[in-house]
Amino acid sequence: MESNTRGTEHPLSLLAGDAYATFLSLGFQAASGPELETEWFNFDALNVPKDHPARDMQDTFWIKGEEGKVLRTHNTSVTARMLAQFAKDGTNPAATISIGKVFRNEATDVTHEMQFFQIDGCMIGENITLAHMKGALVEFYKNMLGENVEVEFRPSFFPFTEPSVEVHAKFNGRWLEMMGGGMIHPEVLKNAGLDPEKVQGFAFGGGLDRIAMIKWNIPDVRLFYQGDLRLNQF
Amino acid sequence: MKISYNWLKWYIPQLPPAAQLSDVITYHLTEVEGTDTLANGDVIFDVNILPNRAHDLLSHQGMAKELAGQLGIAFVDPTPKYVIPETIPTTLSVDVADSACRRYMARVVRNVKVEASPAWVAEHLTAIGQRSINNIVDATNIVMFDSGNPCHAFDAREVRGGVRIMRAKAGETLELLGSEKITATLKETDLVIADNDGRTLALAGIKGGLNSGVADDTVDLVLEVANFDPQTVRKTARRIGVLSDAAKRFENDLSPEHAAYAMRELSALIKEMCPDAVFEEIVDIYPNPQESWSVAFTTELVNTKLGATISSDAIETILKNYSFDYVREGETFTVTPPALRLDLKTPIDMVEEIGRVYGYDKITPQIPKIDFAPAQHQAYEHMNAAREQLLAEGYNEVMTYAFTKKGKVEVARGAKGKEFLRTNLTDGLKESYELNRLNAPVLGLDAVKIFEIGTVFVEKDKEEIHVAWADKKGVAEKTLEEYVASLVATSPQPSPSQGEGAKAETFKVWSSFPFITRDIAFWIPLEVTPRDVEQELQKVVSSLVVKGPTLVDSFSKEGRTSLAYRFVFQSYEKTLTDEEVSGEMEKILTVLKNLNCEIR
Repeated sequence: MESNTRGTEHPLSLLAGDAYATFLSLGFQAASGPELETEWFNFDALNVPKDHPARDMQDTFWIKGEEGKVLRTHNTSVTARMLAQFAKDGTNPAATISIGKVFRNEATDVTHEMQFFQIDGCMIGENITLAHMKGALVEFYKNMLGENVEVEFRPSFFPFTEPSVEVHAKFNGRWLEMMGGGMIHPEVLKNAGLDPEKVQGFAFGGGLDRIAMIKWNIPDVRLFYQGDLRLNQF
Repeated sequence: MKISYNWLKWYIPQLPPAAQLSDVITYHLTEVEGTDTLANGDVIFDVNILPNRAHDLLSHQGMAKELAGQLGIAFVDPTPKYVIPETIPTTLSVDVADSACRRYMARVVRNVKVEASPAWVAEHLTAIGQRSINNIVDATNIVMFDSGNPCHAFDAREVRGGVRIMRAKAGETLELLGSEKITATLKETDLVIADNDGRTLALAGIKGGLNSGVADDTVDLVLEVANFDPQTVRKTARRIGVLSDAAKRFENDLSPEHAAYAMRELSALIKEMCPDAVFEEIVDIYPNPQESWSVAFTTELVNTKLGATISSDAIETILKNYSFDYVREGETFTVTPPALRLDLKTPIDMVEEIGRVYGYDKITPQIPKIDFAPAQHQAYEHMNAAREQLLAEGYNEVMTYAFTKKGKVEVARGAKGKEFLRTNLTDGLKESYELNRLNAPVLGLDAVKIFEIGTVFVEKDKEEIHVAWADKKGVAEKTLEEYVASLVATSPQPSPSQGEGAKAETFKVWSSFPFITRDIAFWIPLEVTPRDVEQELQKVVSSLVVKGPTLVDSFSKEGRTSLAYRFVFQSYEKTLTDEEVSGEMEKILTVLKNLNCEIR
């Protein structure tokens, strides 16, 4: 009956708020970037070679009549922008976190959508290691999914990191693939204008929708973008 | 890539049981997408070979070498077994007219008998999902899935005067081998295998032509084991849409060094299946042999990247188990990687190699602490402020699609009706408002108030973050900056309390069937409180009531109190009928009558 009860928040906003809070408390700086991105920040700066099978890992929306423009396929483009910014400003050590909408040109189903949210972050310094990434992500997943969650790194490949790992989390007795990450590739540091002999660090990225689906047992990723208030249950 | 356990055992007889292998692969190499146990006891692993290891791991031998290294078990090199006792001189001419062919090995084999493959050959191919065709074609496939280097056999009758590797003539066509019966129209950028008559016989590294394939009456062969430029193969394969097993390997850049082994294996296999075959000498055109390289790294480098404490001796054990050629000087290792390990070029490549074999699970998490003062990020702060304001005003947050049928920015190959990016939030919000207005009873809302914060694409080169909100008065939309500026002008609203009820822990799926709303109003007797009534109503409502009892009206007149409750009925299984809902309402009426309520 009360007409002025507080409104309900979209589950992805709720989760994004918690995710930002975790990383801000670890000393990361919030960041954002354009959704309509240049090929440079989406691919080239991130060491994804042209005409290479690695570029097929992501189905890209290209823009008609705009050579060199894409809808960003990952929020790692923001990481690339921030690394360049840190290089320009001479900020070292530094860390950044961004959550934003990304796009993939693929058939939609319960786990695939043309638009979804990704959380991406990086930390650089003189001696930032893969163990630090594990520490930060254990903290993150505990805050997202609960104290009992376990986190595991498994070998993987991404052009922008080396070593590369897949981050898995154990939630309700099941291991689930959550994100990708690793030590920022020396070529990516160079492309940003940083000296890989002096600076190193980690970067990671993964779907926010996926965390929401796992945390609340939401069965279909497409429910997030229907504008349907029945979704706001949390 | 499908990997057969039995096949791996050719090379690594000490392989642990199949059940243990999945974890070894998962934790030290890559993802196992599935396993399948066959009737003959073989276990097939569907392994997702990562792009940086496609050089050497799209093969059973490569996988066997990798596992031998990881597990520190013996790898049995089959090379000495593969011998052709006698060869005769050849007159075959091979002309490599284009540098996109990095190596071309060819050999004429005479007097073969094309027939069904021996059982073991057919069995190995079937195990990994391949079809057995005939002994010769199967031999080329076995060698590809075994060594990783694609090979091809031509009918020698169709190779007139010799082999020439060159670019295609624009517009020419080639009917390809295979059940798909594809005819490719070629461009001058495509690399082809032709004969000296200028007839195109195969698309280099992708598929052979129907005109020169092995037929039942083929007697003489020209075997091809070659190496092609990855980009050239990739471009052609993508354009014509033929992502053959050969193309998938070449586009990932194979080492030309490997061709010699594959030719040796292919020859030996044909000799085994056709004992009367006569082998001519191999023609090998390899103008720029791959040079060996070395990469130096220190134990300190490995540990400062991984944040681990791996000893130099542990690193040396890994290098030894992988049979790498290396020199150790104290804490520094100089490795000369095997020719096929094109992924090991730089020190950081070696860090990854050591890290994954050592095991990332052994790395202890450390909370990073850095001397960095994060700046505030304005867009983030503004979005939070806008969201907070609208929530406080009772607006509910929604998200709608970025894609629409009209706009300023158009995507290539977009879904129908979703080719453009939205220029505003208003259109999406109007639809959302309508949807939620119709669902208002289920939502328990008497007025729908919604908002969205999101990016819109107002011009070809201009994206903006907008805020839009909708209620019964209509939709309003502003840029985030305008909206936040307007907040400063007005005094901030106090944040009202959270809505009633505890927050859910688990998502509750909604029913896709229509709902029915019923209101009931009644006078309550003096001795009964509204609270008593609600408690009794709560007890009687069935699972068909998805919302309610919700008090929608109450007033007092001449000492008496009237209450009105709303019930929303909906089934997860079917569309409810009027009778079913009336039956439910009867139960409610009975409760009210028992409380001496007077129905209005």
